[in-house]
Amino acid sequence: MADPRDQSSERQDFDWLVVMSLIFLVLVAIGLWREHATAWRPWQRSFKRALAQAGRFEDARKFHPGIRQIWNPELGVVDRCVSCHLGYEWSGILPASLPQPLAPHPALPFMAHHPFGQFGCTPCHAGQGWATTASGAHDGGAGWEEPMLSRQLAASCGVSEGELIQMRCNYCHRRDQSTEGMDSINLAKKLFKRRKCLICHSVEGQGGHTAPDLTYEGDKDPDLFDFSHVSGPKTVFNWNVQHLMVAGTVSPKTAMPDYNMPPEQARALALLILSWRHINYPPQYIPQAAASPEPQPSASPAPNPAASPAP
Amino acid sequence: METDRRTILRWLGKGSVFAAFVAQIGAAARAFFPNVLYEPPTTFKLKPPQDYPQGYTFDSQHRLFVVRAAAKFHVISAVCTHLGCTVQWRGTEFDCPCHGSRFDANGKVLSGPAPSPLPWFEVTLSPDGLLEVDSAATVPEGSALTGPVEKA
Amino acid sequence: MAGSVQRLWHKLFWPWAPASEREASEAIVRNLWLHWFPAKVSGRSMSWSYSFWLGTAAASLFVILTITGVMLMFFYVPSTERAYGSIKDLEYAVSFGRLLRNQHRWAAEGMVALAFIHMARVFFTGAYRGSRVLNWMVGVALLLGTLMLSFTGYLLPWDQLAYWAITVGTNIASQAPVLGSTMRYLLLGGNFVGQQTLLRFYVLHVFFLPAVIWIMFAYHMWRVRKDGGLAAIVPLRAMRQAEPKATPQSKSYSLFGLTPGTSVAVMSSMGLEERDQVASSPNLTRRMILVFLTVFNLTLLLAMLFNAPLEGPANPSVTPNPAKAPWYFVWLQELVSSTTVHLGSITLSGGLLGGILLPAILLAALIAWPFFDRSPANAEGVWFPRQRNRQNAVFAIVSVAIVILIIVGLYLRGPYWHLYWPWSPRPVLPRVL
Repeated sequence: MADPRDQSSERQDFDWLVVMSLIFLVLVAIGLWREHATAWRPWQRSFKRALAQAGRFEDARKFHPGIRQIWNPELGVVDRCVSCHLGYEWSGILPASLPQPLAPHPALPFMAHHPFGQFGCTPCHAGQGWATTASGAHDGGAGWEEPMLSRQLAASCGVSEGELIQMRCNYCHRRDQSTEGMDSINLAKKLFKRRKCLICHSVEGQGGHTAPDLTYEGDKDPDLFDFSHVSGPKTVFNWNVQHLMVAGTVSPKTAMPDYNMPPEQARALALLILSWRHINYPPQYIPQAAASPEPQPSASPAPNPAASPAP
Repeated sequence: METDRRTILRWLGKGSVFAAFVAQIGAAARAFFPNVLYEPPTTFKLKPPQDYPQGYTFDSQHRLFVVRAAAKFHVISAVCTHLGCTVQWRGTEFDCPCHGSRFDANGKVLSGPAPSPLPWFEVTLSPDGLLEVDSAATVPEGSALTGPVEKA
Repeated sequence: MAGSVQRLWHKLFWPWAPASEREASEAIVRNLWLHWFPAKVSGRSMSWSYSFWLGTAAASLFVILTITGVMLMFFYVPSTERAYGSIKDLEYAVSFGRLLRNQHRWAAEGMVALAFIHMARVFFTGAYRGSRVLNWMVGVALLLGTLMLSFTGYLLPWDQLAYWAITVGTNIASQAPVLGSTMRYLLLGGNFVGQQTLLRFYVLHVFFLPAVIWIMFAYHMWRVRKDGGLAAIVPLRAMRQAEPKATPQSKSYSLFGLTPGTSVAVMSSMGLEERDQVASSPNLTRRMILVFLTVFNLTLLLAMLFNAPLEGPANPSVTPNPAKAPWYFVWLQELVSSTTVHLGSITLSGGLLGGILLPAILLAALIAWPFFDRSPANAEGVWFPRQRNRQNAVFAIVSVAIVILIIVGLYLRGPYWHLYWPWSPRPVLPRVL
């Protein structure tokens, strides 16, 4: 009786099957390892040790490893930054000299009004909250529009990290005349009044119509700007800074005068302009305007009485 | 026993596939245990201890009572142990509006269908000076946190 | 105890080592999983160098896609507000989520490629003639179904890549005469790509299209059985029939090889001899497992090395520069962008010419080819027979042209759809900060 098994194909197939099985096992083992070797795990081990070193033995004992997140659906916040940035709420207890990412958040005076559990991290610092890796969180990868406002990014704009963050503060604090902790924006708002930009431009229904409306200028697509006369990196921030200083060079046909203002003023105003964006936060998060509107420049048409006060 | 090369290879192959297959099933099962929850956390922070008056303060968001006696704080759950309605504080006792359970000021059952007393949640002081409640950890009746406040 | 374990082992695994011819044939009939195999399979059908087992590889990918796809369904949310976040959760917060998604993506790309390459193999070996014409057409339908599955799945992450690729794709489809705009309206569930579109594409992708493909696949396999196996046996059968026979051949029939007719005529055993065939159990089974395991390892390796692409969340007011269709349609986009013709005052849009007419002609040619094939019978079941040179040349040229267009569209097109060599610097796109 003929052997029903095909000897030749059996031998070859068998050997290859063994090879493929071993490769399968190796790949699965690597997959399991990579899943375990997450970016945050070593930091969490360091943090546990840091807690013990600071004398917080009970907290160290209760510390369990795992992804941590701050979730606030009202703001659309899903921030997993705190899986690595573990010291954020420990300022005063853990030393400020702890290396990042474990260092406590600087104890700024206005922090009490922005509890971490409610605001998370990304409304102020931007970045990609969903990520559990440093590059994913800070940089965001291809097509991520809101990179974290890092020191490096600020330096490339010629401002400090705090000033860059103030831009985001103004998303909500837009209606304030002046806000504690927002020196750069406060200056910009004063300059905006002093320079009487509303003679030509309009913002939130107030102002002239000979120049573009700037109410949501911060949302404007970078592709829509003409960079042919802008020097340096092609960023909207740069465009605005140079346009504020020498509008005639940046936009040759413009009627806007060359203010030739000091660069730091131009940078503050550029941050202000970029802060004017649509935001979806519920009204309880937006501080409402307190003071009555200032008198408008006489050269402008009569302001719309139903409009909200100027920024 | 004759160790044939073919037999060794056969068992190596089968063993690898079996082990890898089991690991795959394990990985798939692990994926279904969520690592993050889109739920209110079981541990949460309330207000600073000095913001709480003496006596019983109801927190509707978290369904609990913060009880302050001089400088001592404890937290009693407001969820009736019968079927989960929110009990009301009547000055001397808790009453449940749904089926009439009554609990004394410490949460012990006085009457009604409730099978067990209102649990006391563990309360600690968070690093940034707020009362922190762990609703997944119950503590025996009588435990209290001594807050960093002046005896009122 | 050892005895009962051994008996259990034998009960489960006896088809793997059948003790006799009869047992080997019985394995097919007694086992649910094996019933769709013939009792015996020809050695030529088993040959690596004939078919490269491309069809089995494509089917393996489909199995992998189904399994990973069902797992993904536990995590993905088909809502315009939540889809993107659910993908990010898969990438960062679900254990093995990134691997799962990556494996699904690379298996999908592989399946589109393999379905096409498998079709090319069938064409080049002339294996679509005679009784196999029906299977060829089912195969073309399977290819289209695969493309549609990939297209519907492409939208689900709801990122810029997805949103605009589908906008481009459905706009091309709307250029079809008469039915074009209605088709687009139906596909999109409205006038714009939005929540309705996402929901329709989701249901198509997870239920409707896989069901259709599984049914067509079952039929595709059934036809292979009824046709007696791969076309590789055709020249062998001719050779055997030409040989003088010493004794009459007797055959054992597999129950499932019966065809309607007045006699119990079994295609699978007509013309081939004992020496040409091997038992399916365990040889075919072992080979299939080997192909599946190899394909699985490949997708797992790719999943570990490369991440499935994901860009920023879909923004209907901002078009990425450039906006490209998925790679298997980017050749159509190339055609569309270059076939707009101005004849005096009349403009024939590239969308119609390059996007609808040309592909329709190619598809019609593909489906109808078996009827125009006039090559002799001995040109079937072999690679590149002389008599089919012209046909094979045409197919090869069209395939290569499509591949070139894909490469151009994928790698040589930059912002504003201008051509860039891979080494030439692309213009830096402006950013906010």
